[in-house]
Amino acid sequence: MAKVKNKRNAGLADKVHQKRNADANKKKLNPFEVHINREKLKVLGKKSKHDRGLPGVSRAKAIQKRKETLGTEMKIMHKTNAFIDRRIGERNSQLSAEERMIARFAAERSRQHSKKSIYNLADDEILTHRGQTLEQIEKFDDPRSSDDEDDGKKFGGLDDDFVSEGHFGGGVLSKSESKDGAKSHKDLIEQLIADSKKRKAEKQKEKEQTLDLTEKLDSEWKDLQPVVFKQHKEESIIDKLLNKEDKGLDYDKTMRELRFEKRGTPSDALKSKEKLEEEEKKKIEELEKQRQERMLSEEEKAPKRTQTIKHRSADDLDDNFDLDDNKEFMLAYDKDGKPLVPENVLKDFSVPNARKKFDDGISDTSDEEDENDENNDEDDENDEDDENDEDDENDEDDEDDENDEVDDNEIQHDEAKKGQTLKRLASQESSDSESNQDSKKQKLSDEIMPKKISQVDKRYKDDTESSNEHENNSTNKNNISESNECDSSSDDEDIVRDEKLSIAENESGKLSDDDENDDEDDENDDEDDEEDDDDESTQNNKNRKLDLDDLKETDESEEENEENNQKMGSFFDLKSTVGDNLKELLSGKTPSQQSSAIQKLIKSYDPSLSQNNKELLSTLFAHLLQYIHDLFTNLSEESDVIKSFLIFDKIVPYLYDLVHLNKVSTKKFLVELLKEKHDNFKRSPKKVPDLNTLIFFKLVSILYPTSDFRHPVTTPSLIFMTEILSLSRFRDSVSISRGLFIVSLILEYTCLSKRYVPSALNFLRGLIYLSANTSILNPVQVVPPFRLNRDIKILKLEHDCTKMAVDNKMAARDLIATEIDYSFRIRSLSTAVMMLKEFFDNYNDLEAQEAIFEHHIQILGRVDLELYPKKVSKKVSEIVQYMKQCLEVKTYTHMSREKVRPKALRLYEPDIQPVFTGSKSSKMSKEGAERARLKGKYKKEMKGALREIRRDKAYIASVKIRQKIQSDNIRKEKVKQIYKDASIQQGELNKLKRMK
Amino acid sequence: MAAVHQNFSKMISAQLRNKANEFLNSRKNANNLADILQMFEAETENYTPLLLTIEVIFTELLKRGDLVQHIEPLKPIDRSPEAEYTRWLNECYESALSRVVECIRRGRTSSRLQALVTACKLMQAEGKYPLEHTSGYFFPSVRLKNIFCVLLDSEISMLAPIARFQEFTEYRDVQQHGLKVLSTLACHKSPSQIYMQNYLELFDKLLATEIPSEVRKTKDKIGEEDFKVLCANDGKPSFPYNTSVCRRYANRCWGFSCQWPLCESPRSHRRALVLLVERLMPILNKPHLATDMLCDSLDAGGPISMLALQGMLELVRHHNIDYPDMYDRLYAMFEPEMFATRYKKRLIHLADIFLSSTHLPESLVAGFAKRLSRLALVASPEDAMGLLQLVGNLLLRHTALKRMICCEDTPAVMSNDPYVMEESSASRSRALGSSLWEVRALTRHWQPTLAAVARQVTDPDRRAPIDIDHAGEEMFDAELKKRFKTIEVNFIRPQSMMLPSGERLGQYWEITA
Repeated sequence: MAKVKNKRNAGLADKVHQKRNADANKKKLNPFEVHINREKLKVLGKKSKHDRGLPGVSRAKAIQKRKETLGTEMKIMHKTNAFIDRRIGERNSQLSAEERMIARFAAERSRQHSKKSIYNLADDEILTHRGQTLEQIEKFDDPRSSDDEDDGKKFGGLDDDFVSEGHFGGGVLSKSESKDGAKSHKDLIEQLIADSKKRKAEKQKEKEQTLDLTEKLDSEWKDLQPVVFKQHKEESIIDKLLNKEDKGLDYDKTMRELRFEKRGTPSDALKSKEKLEEEEKKKIEELEKQRQERMLSEEEKAPKRTQTIKHRSADDLDDNFDLDDNKEFMLAYDKDGKPLVPENVLKDFSVPNARKKFDDGISDTSDEEDENDENNDEDDENDEDDENDEDDENDEDDEDDENDEVDDNEIQHDEAKKGQTLKRLASQESSDSESNQDSKKQKLSDEIMPKKISQVDKRYKDDTESSNEHENNSTNKNNISESNECDSSSDDEDIVRDEKLSIAENESGKLSDDDENDDEDDENDDEDDEEDDDDESTQNNKNRKLDLDDLKETDESEEENEENNQKMGSFFDLKSTVGDNLKELLSGKTPSQQSSAIQKLIKSYDPSLSQNNKELLSTLFAHLLQYIHDLFTNLSEESDVIKSFLIFDKIVPYLYDLVHLNKVSTKKFLVELLKEKHDNFKRSPKKVPDLNTLIFFKLVSILYPTSDFRHPVTTPSLIFMTEILSLSRFRDSVSISRGLFIVSLILEYTCLSKRYVPSALNFLRGLIYLSANTSILNPVQVVPPFRLNRDIKILKLEHDCTKMAVDNKMAARDLIATEIDYSFRIRSLSTAVMMLKEFFDNYNDLEAQEAIFEHHIQILGRVDLELYPKKVSKKVSEIVQYMKQCLEVKTYTHMSREKVRPKALRLYEPDIQPVFTGSKSSKMSKEGAERARLKGKYKKEMKGALREIRRDKAYIASVKIRQKIQSDNIRKEKVKQIYKDASIQQGELNKLKRMK
Repeated sequence: MAAVHQNFSKMISAQLRNKANEFLNSRKNANNLADILQMFEAETENYTPLLLTIEVIFTELLKRGDLVQHIEPLKPIDRSPEAEYTRWLNECYESALSRVVECIRRGRTSSRLQALVTACKLMQAEGKYPLEHTSGYFFPSVRLKNIFCVLLDSEISMLAPIARFQEFTEYRDVQQHGLKVLSTLACHKSPSQIYMQNYLELFDKLLATEIPSEVRKTKDKIGEEDFKVLCANDGKPSFPYNTSVCRRYANRCWGFSCQWPLCESPRSHRRALVLLVERLMPILNKPHLATDMLCDSLDAGGPISMLALQGMLELVRHHNIDYPDMYDRLYAMFEPEMFATRYKKRLIHLADIFLSSTHLPESLVAGFAKRLSRLALVASPEDAMGLLQLVGNLLLRHTALKRMICCEDTPAVMSNDPYVMEESSASRSRALGSSLWEVRALTRHWQPTLAAVARQVTDPDRRAPIDIDHAGEEMFDAELKKRFKTIEVNFIRPQSMMLPSGERLGQYWEITA
């Protein structure tokens, strides 16, 4: 029965709760209490707080407030004891009843968790929620007993007859009358009890029966359950199998499906070749754009930016307000259902976030990559160095990506081709997995991949093999050869390891002996290697033509590489001897062998392999610079010069790689080198520096962009070159040829930016002067370092050379020539004139062109062209003619200020004041105004405070008067009582007196 | 070998020091002095240790007063050993001095310089502690004369010792007495070239410290500040420095040298001009007497005329001398050859002063501006910078020249440059009709700083003069010190030393075959 009660109570509690809330929310506004303030000025759209007031309410509020503050204070005035209500939350009006209860409960709980009861685990307190125990609420199983049935019956299950009779039957008398009085009241009651007991028993029985039944049903269902579900599943698998057999699905498809299933996340797709090229092109274009920008100085850049606005409205106020002039286009379809708008536009307007859910490795991901590109470009400037690191890691990523699609054999083949060991491969993979974790790096890799792969392609010109790798269907023939190579490569590794061991055994370092032994061992392998060598040899074809002696060495290159491998292992171990190591490594080899040795070295010290490899590689850069320097010192034979250049030719790409690895330190090395060279030059400025200086100018132009307005490396080297041209004396063949070398480099430096280099022009002028026929009587102007009538005409032809056959290019031997033969004279003049023409073309847009070149043309007129070979004289006269014509048709316009468009008047400028004080008329100073404002505020506050105090006083007075009145009343009452009592007493006394 | 030699010289100097100390400590070792003096006989390149020893000994002796002889006029010569010793010491002193002076002529440069310094130091010591008692200020002019005689050698160029001597000419007494002595030595007929050079050099050094002019002199102030006297001693009366005396002697010196054939060799001619222009002009009594020489020099051409021009400028500005075609001469000096001379900076500075007048005709200044910018086209970056600065100044001072950088009228298209480069007169070169296209060409100069300056010059709205920070360091080093945010590198990997695009070396050279 208790349950029933609880249930009902629960509903009630809710209702009451809600109602109270609703009451609190309702606001009663008595219209008689509202006082409306008259507004003097009505402002549209202005919200006023003070348009209506509730004077009664607010006064009551104020009084209430005072009662609570001043009143209580008054009450406890002059009292030492105070009554404090310590019930939790009682005085906090913000707490609702609920919260108050919670707080009290919490306090109660915490009190129970006092030290004494802390170990009392079996603490059986009963938690209630609105009068119901939590146990009751939390009993989620459906109640077996249906109490609801009982609710339907009234009066505790007693039947109507009984009730009507027993309760309202009109008493014993009537009953006894109607039923013959057979049953007494006692009988009746007994019958009642028996009845009810019987019914209860019946009910109990019934209940047990249903319970049994449900349990039985449950257990049966449980048995059945697996059968029902399983059957369904089995059927589908069978169906599938059947279907498969029916359709005859091919093995490949299943395999591919399985492979796709294995992959957790779809990796980025391999791009097609065209796509790679396209991206490469786009990236280069972007970089080219940046380079163009750097070419201009800051002043030049500024105006260009403003010219980008395409369209100007007639109403343009020149306030840089830019309309979005994205063309709205109408989406229309032709009859085939294809959109009539160009695809790229459609792409732009496609839903931005919609991406394909499944990347099958072929689908288009170019959009994403474009975004990445942009991001990268922004990042590029921020972290160059970081990028470099990632660059290299990505390099490996790429290789691995390729490998995913290729058989293991091919992987090895690939690696073998690049001369890498398995060990390295393993480390690559580990680094790969690391890099995969970083999504950003992944993105970067996407971007850089095309570049790298294309490079790889170029490097190994065997296009067929690499393309096979991409297409994933390698022919048998290739496979065989590749597997051979793979074997050989693995053999190589073994050998390398053997060698390492042997070296470990005899540390004395008799390398040569070991090598000889190994060479014998390797003979078998060499046969296999030959195919590999063929690749290299095709690459080297050009070189072989030049020096056939080296051919044998190339065949043995593979052996030497092995030998190098071990050297590289300990290359950087002893830092002091890195330079010697390098020399040892590179000495006595053909240029191509050297290049491959350096390539290996760089690869084996890849920055991703070890932390300090980056620094090691930058020191390698320094030592390579030293190597180049040594290479070009003390050259006396023509063949030596050519060989040095060939070696330089091969080394340069790796220098480029190294620079990209560590831009800062490599730049530092190069600049320090330049500085040292410059200091040397300054010590004897009249001597043209040796080739070991000049070669670095070429190196700079290869590594760094020469067109920049200002660049940390190219600008100093350009300064250096011009200083050489303007300070040195050109009196012998070596200095003249080196001067021409420098001028050609200057042309290279300025061919993009078309900058004006006077010293180069002066040098050419001097050179032509040296070959011209001048006398004291009709002098021509020359510029220092050449001097009029003082320099010997070393380039002048003395007799007829028309029959001579002369090359039209300067040659390597000129750089070391000791005597000036006629061929040299002719060639240097023709080269000088050709260069002059190029300079002339470069400065075509300058008005001062005539002033610059008139002297050159004048001196060229004095050269005895009849003495020169016909080809040369014809060319020279043609060029002179060309220059003269160009100058004749040249037009001059005065320099004038760039036309500035008059600015439109600005309209509707709002008059914005810094601080709106409200009183415009006041002409006070800022401080004065502030002071006045503060004064006003103070006054206002003072007024308010006074008023409050006054009201407090009034309140206190009213309270006091009320108390006074009250106490007076009590006193009066008491007096009356006393009088009454006294009069009664008097009366009684009188009565007694009278009685007497 | 060198080490051995060094050891040897070290040993000698130690030995010498010992001997000197012994000698100074007691008279018993008097013969040491004789030994030391003997050593001058030996033929050697390096007398430095010997000279130092001599210096130490005699300075000490002079300080002690050992050399002072008491000669009383009516008494017979004192024969006491004491007097004999003093006399012997005096003889030694005289001989030592002559040897030291002799050493200026011989041996290594360092030794020669040391000899000069020793001689001067001894002179100083003698001035401080004179051999005879004098009441006034004493300066040993005789010693100075001896030194000068050596310095003004007819065969050997004494440039290095004379340059070293400059540190002594800072002293006012040396200057005054030096000028006096020099004027007595100058009366030399038909001197050799080297003698003239030495003379001019010495004269120049003597005038290195400016002789204060009468007008602006406030005697006591200068006396306080930088009045250095070589032979000053605490007990002695102060040196009576007289500027008018100095001037007189300087004029006399110049007067003598004017009679020599100074203009025969360009070197002495240049030296004389520099001396005249830089030192003498303000102190000459009659500067206009130099006009003839300057006029002749102006016609000589090259650096000589450049120097003469400066003297001329001085005459024109301060001495009311009128020189015709002044500007045309200046105009003619701006030739490419000027870059080879040492005085190009001076010329540019002079031109700046010449053209600073705002009353000059526009056509003339325009001619200069045009010519200067033409020159800047072929100049090295540093020179071009100076020229551009000058052009920029001209454009600022003469507002009419603005039409050369921004023509306000409708620009007409011309078939050629109206400026005539060959015209020898600046005002007739028709430069006003032309524009400074040369400066515009220089905005494309490869040197970034120069390009920026050229851009400033062509800016018609420029108000401030162009400021070029000459830090004094070389362009190359200055460029290396610049900071860069990024280091740009090429983005296309080269396959060989040939550039992917814009290869020029390979175009003109066949180096790999």
